[in-house]
Amino acid sequence: MMMNTSIRRLFIVSTILFASLIGTLAYWQVLEARGLEDNPQNTRKVFAQMRIDRGLILGKDRAELARNKKDGDLYYRVYPQSDLAPQLIGYSDATYGQVGLEHSWNNYLSGTADEVELAQMLDTITGKQKRGGDLKLTLDPKVQKTALAEMEKLGKQGSVVVLEVKTGAVVAMVSTPSYDPNQLAANWTQLNSDPGSPLLNRATQGLYTPGSSFKLITTAAALENGFNPDSKFKDDKSSIEIYGNTVNNWRDTPFGNHDLTEAFSQSINTTFAQIGDKLGQDKLIEYQEKFGLYEKPPFDLPPDEVMPSGRYENGKLASPDTHLDPVQNVWMAIGQENVQVTPLQMAMIGQAIANGGQEMRPYVVDSVSDYNGTILKQAKPEQLREPILPETAAEMTKMMIKTVNDGTGSGAASKQVQIAGKTGTAEVDGRGPNAWFVGFAPANDPKYAIAVVVSDADVHGHDSSPVARETLLAALGLTTGS
Amino acid sequence: MQRNRELINFIPVMLLTLIGFVSVYAARSAQIDAGSLSYALLFAGLFLAAHLLLRLAAPYADPYLLPLTALLSALGIMMIYRIDPDLAAAQTTWLMVGLGVFALTMIFFRNYRRLDDYIYLLGILGVALLAVAIIFGHEINGARLWLKIGGLSIQPGEFSKVLITIFLAGYLNSKRELLATSTWRLFHIPMPPFKYLGPLVTMWGMSLALLLLMNDLGTSLLFFGIFLAMTYVATGRTAYPAIGGLLFMGGAWLAYNMKFTVQTRVSIWLDPWNDAVNKGYQIVQSLFAIGDGGLFGTGLGKGYLLFQNGEPIIPALHTDFIFSAIAEELGLAGATAVVVLFLIFCYRCFKIAIDSDDGFSKLLATGLAAGFVLQTFVIIGGVTKLIPLTGITLPFVSYGGSSIVANFASLALLLLISNRTGKERAK
Repeated sequence: MMMNTSIRRLFIVSTILFASLIGTLAYWQVLEARGLEDNPQNTRKVFAQMRIDRGLILGKDRAELARNKKDGDLYYRVYPQSDLAPQLIGYSDATYGQVGLEHSWNNYLSGTADEVELAQMLDTITGKQKRGGDLKLTLDPKVQKTALAEMEKLGKQGSVVVLEVKTGAVVAMVSTPSYDPNQLAANWTQLNSDPGSPLLNRATQGLYTPGSSFKLITTAAALENGFNPDSKFKDDKSSIEIYGNTVNNWRDTPFGNHDLTEAFSQSINTTFAQIGDKLGQDKLIEYQEKFGLYEKPPFDLPPDEVMPSGRYENGKLASPDTHLDPVQNVWMAIGQENVQVTPLQMAMIGQAIANGGQEMRPYVVDSVSDYNGTILKQAKPEQLREPILPETAAEMTKMMIKTVNDGTGSGAASKQVQIAGKTGTAEVDGRGPNAWFVGFAPANDPKYAIAVVVSDADVHGHDSSPVARETLLAALGLTTGS
Repeated sequence: MQRNRELINFIPVMLLTLIGFVSVYAARSAQIDAGSLSYALLFAGLFLAAHLLLRLAAPYADPYLLPLTALLSALGIMMIYRIDPDLAAAQTTWLMVGLGVFALTMIFFRNYRRLDDYIYLLGILGVALLAVAIIFGHEINGARLWLKIGGLSIQPGEFSKVLITIFLAGYLNSKRELLATSTWRLFHIPMPPFKYLGPLVTMWGMSLALLLLMNDLGTSLLFFGIFLAMTYVATGRTAYPAIGGLLFMGGAWLAYNMKFTVQTRVSIWLDPWNDAVNKGYQIVQSLFAIGDGGLFGTGLGKGYLLFQNGEPIIPALHTDFIFSAIAEELGLAGATAVVVLFLIFCYRCFKIAIDSDDGFSKLLATGLAAGFVLQTFVIIGGVTKLIPLTGITLPFVSYGGSSIVANFASLALLLLISNRTGKERAK
């Protein structure tokens, strides 16, 4: 029948119409999906994040460092410890975005990482509200609190990093001034214009002139290249002329005849200048690289929140192969000449020496678990490098003990435990020096390594040693009650 | 035989319905209570009753249409329920009314061909309903489609659509031989005598009037499309849809130049991003929702459809934009499945038209099928920005009493036609 042909044609037209609908859907849902998501008028992404029951961030003692407050359908992040470690933990906010661990571990916290999705498969099927994975940190809030309190007592900018010697686990990571991540909206403008840059994580991003703390590297190079702790040196003017430059010691009285151990514990610049000259640039650079300078330390924070240490030229990390004049090399040996280091890097150096020459990968996320407490991902301590021989480490430990007991680091000495360390007072143009302390305790069986840096310190650079002492005591559970 | 097949077809439908309700409940258990699962049971009961009615009243009827309708209705109730449980209760009531009208149509119009005797009356009633909507209706979204009677909002256009389809089936069936003759050619296309172009021009005028008076391109396109499809099938002449299409485009162009509202609609369609917080808000939010669905969707109950206070982000989410909600929560996979369901539904309708052996039945089934095709295309095309947006319901899925009742009446007619064919064949 004639009508049937027409009806069939109508069906074909209908099929074409419907196919064009499917084509349009595919365009929006596949080809243009990304474009729609990124459209600035689309607030879905922000709210999508806010509708996820993010996992908790817990301290070593399982204290809550970050949790959620639910309001209707949306979750708002709350940081119960306020200003304890905001630069490390970061924040997750609809308006201000994500930084810190909240950013780099977002996949786990928001539950989109494979491990978390797999664990919550059943919930996905039953449509139960998903919850992100919980992060358990190696951070010990007690130690962190002590370090922050000590820094705030000084009221100066700076940082403290404490690493567990055997594992590289971060026990404390302080950056001052701190801020309260619960008050972002109220303080945003002020936080960004504050000259103290509270948002900056000085522990991993702060670049400081190491000054005499760099002598740890120079000494390591010296001990493995013809020098020994008893190598003899002489200082009779408390300054030397070298390549037309004058290198001064920190005190005017000459140190006279001394060995390498004393040069180290008294931080004698004139001697280290000569050692540096003798070792030459290649050796000095080689040992910097062995300890991990010129490379970004692999760490749990977002890569753009971790800076590499090394020599900087015009604000950029210089290639280690850059040829230096001998005089520049001499300045480098005593930690000047535009060498810039982060507190994390210096703590890693302390940790490597304390650990018999084995440098461990620093980490702060111990494990990720689902809401049942089932561990989905567990950090395993791993050796990163082996910068020095065990014998070198042992010899350096002795020198660092002497530094604390009978040298520039006496401010760190404690009756309760033998602390080992090296101080540094780096001249900074226009303001007080950077005061460093890099060390570990107990010296005979090292458990915790520390790096402390205080900006604009008192001229003698005594600010950092007490901070290191109190923090190490807290880490060892030997609180003085001071 | 047909009814047993229908019963088997109901098994996957009911399983899907149950799974759907359980997942909506699971995803939104904080907001809704477990009593809601009784919807699934009530729903299954209603359609089983319809099935039993068919066993008695139309044993030879098509075994696919009712299960397909059940699936689409279930999807609709599920989504409405997910948007606002109170509306789902109202929609369930409407579904009951719809199935009641379905039952009445099945019983009282068993001999539906007698409708042929009253086509002019029905046609006049259809036009009158539209006129009432135009005169007494109030505007929603700029379109004058709604009539308020007491607390009820009625869309006369939905009923008018069915009535005019019946009228056209009878009219075209009696005049088709005259209309199919050709006395002259235009570019080699055989053309009917001028005097028989009358109905075409009348329908065109009516559609244009709808467009201008109702401000609604969608309804206008729907009516004229049904008419062209039926005329084409009645006469077998491509000339009708060709001339009709040109006339319609000409009319639309005129309307575009005459009426500011039409211009606004077109410019929103062309570039909604330009005014995304105001005039383009609805379509832009619809596209954001659809895009968010991706391949597999956010999952039922988990899309970003409501504000904190429970208000839908897209205005008219439960009616015109229900497909956007489906596309977000079920993704391209689910949205495509829904389009394919409609295609299968329309395929069954066209098949009923082909299988039936009298002109009136063929034309009626074709008209009803074309109505479903166009309505589905116009609203899904609208919310996906394929064509300018127009406020119209997605058959069986959208919230809305008039639409449910009119569509169930259409469904009953289609089943009656197929029952008659089956009965004739069984003889």
